Amino acid sequence: MKFRAERHEFADAAAWALRTVGTRVTLPALSGVRLEVSGDRLGLRSTDLEVASELSIPVQAERDGVALVPGRLLGDVVRSLPNAALSAEGDSERLRLQCGRARFDLRLMPADDFPAAPVIADDAAAAVMKAEEFARMVTQVVRAASTDDARPVLTGVQLEATAGSLTAAATDSYRLARRIVPWEQGAEMTVLVPRRALDEARRSAEQLGSEVRLVLEPNQATFEFGDRRLVTRLIEGRFPDFRQLVPEGHERRLEADRAELIEVVRRVSVVGEGSGSTTPVNLHLHPDSIDVSAGSGEVGQADESLPGTLSGEELQIAFNPRYLTDGLEVAGGERVVLEFRDELKPAVIRPGEPPATDDRDTASDFLYLLMPVRI
Amino acid sequence: MRTRPAVGDRLPDPPAVAPRPAEPILHVDMDAFYASVEVRRDPTLADRPVLVGGTGGRGVVASASYEARAYGVHSAMPMARARRLCPHAVVLPPDFAAYQRVSEELRAILLSATPLVEPLALDEAFLDVGGAVRLLGPPRGVGERLRRRIRRDLGLPASVGVAPNKFLAKLCSAKAKPDGLLHLRAPDVDGFLTPLGVGDLWGVGAQTAARLDRFGVRTVGDLRAVPSHVLARLVGPAASTQLARLARGDDPRPVVPHEPARGMSAEETFDHDVDDLSLLRRELLRLAEKVARRLRAAGVAARTVTCKLRYANFTTVSRSHTLGVPTDQATELHAEACELLDGLRLERVRVRLLGLGCTNLVPAGAARQLHLLGEDRWSRLDRAGDAVCERFGPAAVTRGALLDEATLSGDASATREQWRPRDDDPGRPRRP
Repeated sequence: MKFRAERHEFADAAAWALRTVGTRVTLPALSGVRLEVSGDRLGLRSTDLEVASELSIPVQAERDGVALVPGRLLGDVVRSLPNAALSAEGDSERLRLQCGRARFDLRLMPADDFPAAPVIADDAAAAVMKAEEFARMVTQVVRAASTDDARPVLTGVQLEATAGSLTAAATDSYRLARRIVPWEQGAEMTVLVPRRALDEARRSAEQLGSEVRLVLEPNQATFEFGDRRLVTRLIEGRFPDFRQLVPEGHERRLEADRAELIEVVRRVSVVGEGSGSTTPVNLHLHPDSIDVSAGSGEVGQADESLPGTLSGEELQIAFNPRYLTDGLEVAGGERVVLEFRDELKPAVIRPGEPPATDDRDTASDFLYLLMPVRI
Repeated sequence: MRTRPAVGDRLPDPPAVAPRPAEPILHVDMDAFYASVEVRRDPTLADRPVLVGGTGGRGVVASASYEARAYGVHSAMPMARARRLCPHAVVLPPDFAAYQRVSEELRAILLSATPLVEPLALDEAFLDVGGAVRLLGPPRGVGERLRRRIRRDLGLPASVGVAPNKFLAKLCSAKAKPDGLLHLRAPDVDGFLTPLGVGDLWGVGAQTAARLDRFGVRTVGDLRAVPSHVLARLVGPAASTQLARLARGDDPRPVVPHEPARGMSAEETFDHDVDDLSLLRRELLRLAEKVARRLRAAGVAARTVTCKLRYANFTTVSRSHTLGVPTDQATELHAEACELLDGLRLERVRVRLLGLGCTNLVPAGAARQLHLLGEDRWSRLDRAGDAVCERFGPAAVTRGALLDEATLSGDASATREQWRPRDDDPGRPRRP
């Protein structure tokens, strides 16, 4: 292969592809980034067998060809390149890079061992979302996914496309986050995406902006950002039927300032930290105020109250403070609404009613279900 | 600290001043505990050799009466060998519930002397009676009265060592056996230790003893004569300091009244090495049930689950995982343990011993994160099962997966716990 490229374009493309290079892999080829010159484009691919990234950049191509470059080495090289035009030439054994007066002669890995690129079916369920909206959707649900590999199903985020809407849901069995966004396409498809893959897609969406095209297939999900795409394998297994978990109606409804409630819960729960297991934070709900307290006999106590409007009877309920603040943080909006039945039933966190002028997204699209701690 | 003088036959006159005595530590050790309890239950066994232990293929002797010891039988010996040495011995399976009850009664008696009781096992404990001299008199008298009271109230023999520290007290009780008391006065410590074999020192196992023996170090007296830098070369620097201290009869460890359980575990040594993963998983379920029941009985939940395997070649591996939320449920323990087992990627490996352990214990009742996904059903089920087993015995409720043919055919002995080598018992913390 032989090509000339813009240094920053090449460095940026390599850095992006490097994110899915396999680190602890049994197949050595997975630790490499595959470069391929074809026509006037340079394609880069990497995969750790769970998530694959693919992108291409325009180059001045002189000779087509393929090279599998060790990923770490490529990363170190592109980071140190001087600011000058880059030219590359190689055969199946070595790749010579020249940038300004710097020359690198890199040993290559056998490119034949590298897995084939995932194929995306033409008729797959696909739709385009604004990158910002996609990133927000992922942020809102991904934290509720489990980090414990003991139950793989719970480490994923379920994306469920139906006519007109896409529902993202995640649960670690203690809390559940659900977000619904509009989905223009009609084809129905449900996939369970590993949380790490979705987080990578979110980072790309935030970094690249513009739009994301989601392609959902029975065996993989693809996130396309212009010339770049992330393809992830799916988690097998049945995601819990979360709809039946969402309570119908409530007996108590609390409304409060979101930022203030987060701050108070954080401050008070400091006394429960570092004691091995998490000490719950107690909320005592009065008609116009919330008493927040935490502590244990060993460490000490803390309490603070803040204004809040309760409709329904007074209630004392306790939560894992992290699970509570996670939900409050991603709910968004100035005000937040919490709905309760009793101290042993799940609570529901929703964004407060949006001001009439704000029609960006409707409040009911996000929901965070949280199981209390029994004390 | 005030305690009622419930031990004494009669209160001695309180001395005007009560300085801390030179030998304040007692080690109380029941003689052939399990066997003695069995003899007490069935007096016709008196004066006969009695062995308590596992009767299965690899069962070991857990306890042997002194009549049996005369034939060279000792605890931890394979049962098959014990039977060859003493063919007319009465062999009984252990009844831990009974030993546990007696142990609690024993503990109550010991606590009547001083709150400073450090249980070492079901049948032995250290006591520090140095602070109770005014109330109870000198330590030796306390030891004698405790022995009498154990004999009178429990009908069981006990031996007592009275010494300046824990290490020496334990040596003394061993020398006092059976049914005796040995008081080692501080000035006599050197003379007492000098002729003892180095193997009598804590921390000196067969390997260290053999190593020392090669250099002609056989007795504690020999050991004391070894210069410290030479000893360090022989056994390593850390062990040498410890050994030198013990050889002088020095042991600074205090009596710690109650050591809270740091973990609970159960192990199974198989009659035959096992290479069937599904069998190992099933065994883990049985162990999980056992450990979970103990956790619940103690009112604690575990955050860390450990799976331990010993292969046929005696290599031992263990893997742990820490949970986000503590659990006392067999189902969760089992799922975690199986995950750890799968993580080892065993292929045609023969397993001799399988264990499941829980550490990082926290009070279970305090606060409990509830599950969204209806997983509390297991916890309710477990509790109902506990209640049934409490009334009708451990086999009254069990998992379908744990029912084997013997159980189905009504062979009750198959469901009974078998005593195996190193089957950890909650009442038997590891010796210091």
